[in-house]
Amino acid sequence: MTSNEGTSPAVGRDALTTFTPGVPLAAGAELESFSYDDAIVRKFLIATFTWGLVGMLVGLFIALELAVPSLNIAPWLSFGRLRPLHTNAVIFAFAGNAFFTGCYYSLQRLCKARMFSDGLSKFHFWGWQSIIVAAAITLPLGFTQAKEYAELEWPIDIAIAVVWVAFAINLFGTIAKRRERHLYVAIWFYIASVVTVAILHIFNNLSIPAGPLKSYSIYAGVQDAFMQWWYGHNAVAFFLTTPFLGLMYYFMPKAAERPVYSYKLSILHFWSLVFMYIWAGPHHLHYTALPEWASTLGMLFSVMLWMPSWGGMINGLLTLRGAWHKVVEEPVLKFFVVAVTAYGMATFEGPMLSVKSVNALAHYTDWIIAHVHTGALGWNGFMTFGMIYWLLPRLFQTRLYSKKLAELHFWVASFGILLYVVAIYSAGVTQGLMWRAFDSTGRLAYPDFIETVVKLMPMYWMRALGGTLYIVGMVIFGWNILMTWRSRPAVYEEAVVQAPRLVKAYSDAGHGVPETAGGWSRFIGMAWHRSWERRWLLFTVATVIAVAVASLFEIIPTFLIRSNVPTIASVKPYTPLELVGRDIYIREGCFNCHSQMIRPFRHETERFGEYSKPGEFVYDHPFLWGSRRIGPDLAREGGKYPDLWHVRHMQDPRSITAKSIMPSYPQLLTADLDYGVIQSRVDAMAMLGVPCGDAVKQGAARTMAESQAKTIAAGIAQQGGPAGLERKEIVALTAYLQRLGTDIKRLGPSPAAAGSAP
Amino acid sequence: MKSIADVVGASGLAFYAEIALAIFFVVFVVIGLRLLVPSQQWEHVAHLPLEDDTPARVSRPSRPARPTPPSPPALP
Repeated sequence: MTSNEGTSPAVGRDALTTFTPGVPLAAGAELESFSYDDAIVRKFLIATFTWGLVGMLVGLFIALELAVPSLNIAPWLSFGRLRPLHTNAVIFAFAGNAFFTGCYYSLQRLCKARMFSDGLSKFHFWGWQSIIVAAAITLPLGFTQAKEYAELEWPIDIAIAVVWVAFAINLFGTIAKRRERHLYVAIWFYIASVVTVAILHIFNNLSIPAGPLKSYSIYAGVQDAFMQWWYGHNAVAFFLTTPFLGLMYYFMPKAAERPVYSYKLSILHFWSLVFMYIWAGPHHLHYTALPEWASTLGMLFSVMLWMPSWGGMINGLLTLRGAWHKVVEEPVLKFFVVAVTAYGMATFEGPMLSVKSVNALAHYTDWIIAHVHTGALGWNGFMTFGMIYWLLPRLFQTRLYSKKLAELHFWVASFGILLYVVAIYSAGVTQGLMWRAFDSTGRLAYPDFIETVVKLMPMYWMRALGGTLYIVGMVIFGWNILMTWRSRPAVYEEAVVQAPRLVKAYSDAGHGVPETAGGWSRFIGMAWHRSWERRWLLFTVATVIAVAVASLFEIIPTFLIRSNVPTIASVKPYTPLELVGRDIYIREGCFNCHSQMIRPFRHETERFGEYSKPGEFVYDHPFLWGSRRIGPDLAREGGKYPDLWHVRHMQDPRSITAKSIMPSYPQLLTADLDYGVIQSRVDAMAMLGVPCGDAVKQGAARTMAESQAKTIAAGIAQQGGPAGLERKEIVALTAYLQRLGTDIKRLGPSPAAAGSAP
Repeated sequence: MKSIADVVGASGLAFYAEIALAIFFVVFVVIGLRLLVPSQQWEHVAHLPLEDDTPARVSRPSRPARPTPPSPPALP
């Protein structure tokens, strides 16, 4: 509890206070004086801009790397390592800090209370920024769990959990000591976000550490894929959607100076969204080795999700009823209108993409990237910009430096979004159609994958131009923030607010609910919901139940029904050398460009080989199916080419495929393989239930790995390649790539090659 | 765990989709109908964001005083 609060029973009713005019003070209620902690809001605001600029610049850089592969000038600047940095920076650093900015500002005012603890607020701020810095260091260095939007390694995951709990305590503490009885709709969305993100983060990141910055997911293959996309989809839902809906419900009425269009619609919006969103994750795995029932369930709920999403969008836009003339004059409202429209477009497109037949075309293509950026740049970005432009004069207690610059920012960024998404939608559809095209003789029309890559180059350049414009908008935004901040007063004035303390006695009288109403009338009149809005704990429990029911209905059968993952006798665990080779594949972020999941379509089996089976991935901790094909699928890569081909290809991809956009990895031929870590990694796998055989005996894993490496290195030298590679990383990666997809080709157990299957 | 797996496995999962649709439509239709009934009871709550910015008085400095920088040129 902070010290900036006190009781002022002597203050009269005619003072300027925040209690509802016209509503008499309850018996025994006394006015209390307090102030809001806006210093923390200012801190989060600056962090939002700073990390937003960093995250977007990294995004522009990796976009240019696709057009100009020579920009992959160092391992830590390669596309595979920087792409997760871009996604983490814009989601957790930019959007996360934006949410905290708006949440800390609005929560205090809606609760008529200062934050529960200034200390926790500061801990939350500095803790979150430290996590972002840790991510910015570890991801380029290749420390990753290989799960999209959950790449950070286990010590950072623990730090995230601790900081998130601190935020939750602060949020619920503030709600508990509030002076406004009813929890406004924005707070419901904050509550849903806080509890659900905690659940998602904990369950998806359960892993066994195999070193200070190395761990393996406790789930394997199909189950891991399911958990990851349960998390991944709902990270979008509960980190990028519900928090921003909360902000919309608070800041749009503020900017439009009129209440939300329909409070009742917001009730429907909230509960249907929270209940349904959580089911939709499996639509990310259509036609993969995921059981079909789960995939269908994900599709159905995604389609249903369209209705509540549009309910929210309509509620947002109609809040401007009678105030559309203000949109012409106010850049804040312009940003909000485009943001809500982008939300509407993205939430129409999402359900459409979840329909299996549409997904068959769009999955693995840039269409998904365009979809994500409509939401991120339009919805999250513009909501943030509008909110910050509205907050700047209030937080810095001065005029906005330039409304004209805000207008310029709006138009430049809008044009940037347009260029970006048009280019990438075109790229996505082009890719999808080229992959599936057959010529009149029944053969693939574009059998060389590189043809489909080269075709996208003009779109990649146009995307980079769109991204540049968006960043130019950010620079204008930053200048406006800086100049507004510079004209702040010498001393910030801290408003003292007064509101009556809540008393136990409460009646709905005066709010339209007859005291004498019967049970049915109260139910149908939704008096129960008004009652829930007064009981934050009950409301939170109901939210958790809504989220948990959906999760359990999908997760339990996926884990318990054995027929979901039919076992294949010939599928064996990776050898110790292949395992560390797989770790190198993960470190370099190869899964960001290459899938390992062949769908049961003729155009895929013709191009890549036999379609993937669930039983092939039972030892894959984590799964590496990927979500995008900038390069070809690798599920059946094993045995396609000689070992030397892989060495040459990794050393210089363009020496094999002239127009390849893959980064070069010459360092793999010179970097020593760390044989010292192999035993601990095999032991971690054994702890997860992988039958590692003799490899778990002390020192055996290393011996087996050295033996296999010697055989492979000798083969490479024999084929005319460089000699003496047996202690280099390239040998382990080659061993892994040559193993991919080969198990099901064997009739029985794998042959007892030197150092092979333990 | 084996018995739970058997029970869930034997129950069949094909009807999940129908259950999902039924739940959705029942809940959505019931609440949707409720929205059509006019009501004044949410007026106060809907106005909450609009009534939270009226300070009783302005006082306490929130950080030590520093010299005021020169004002930037006023822009429209």
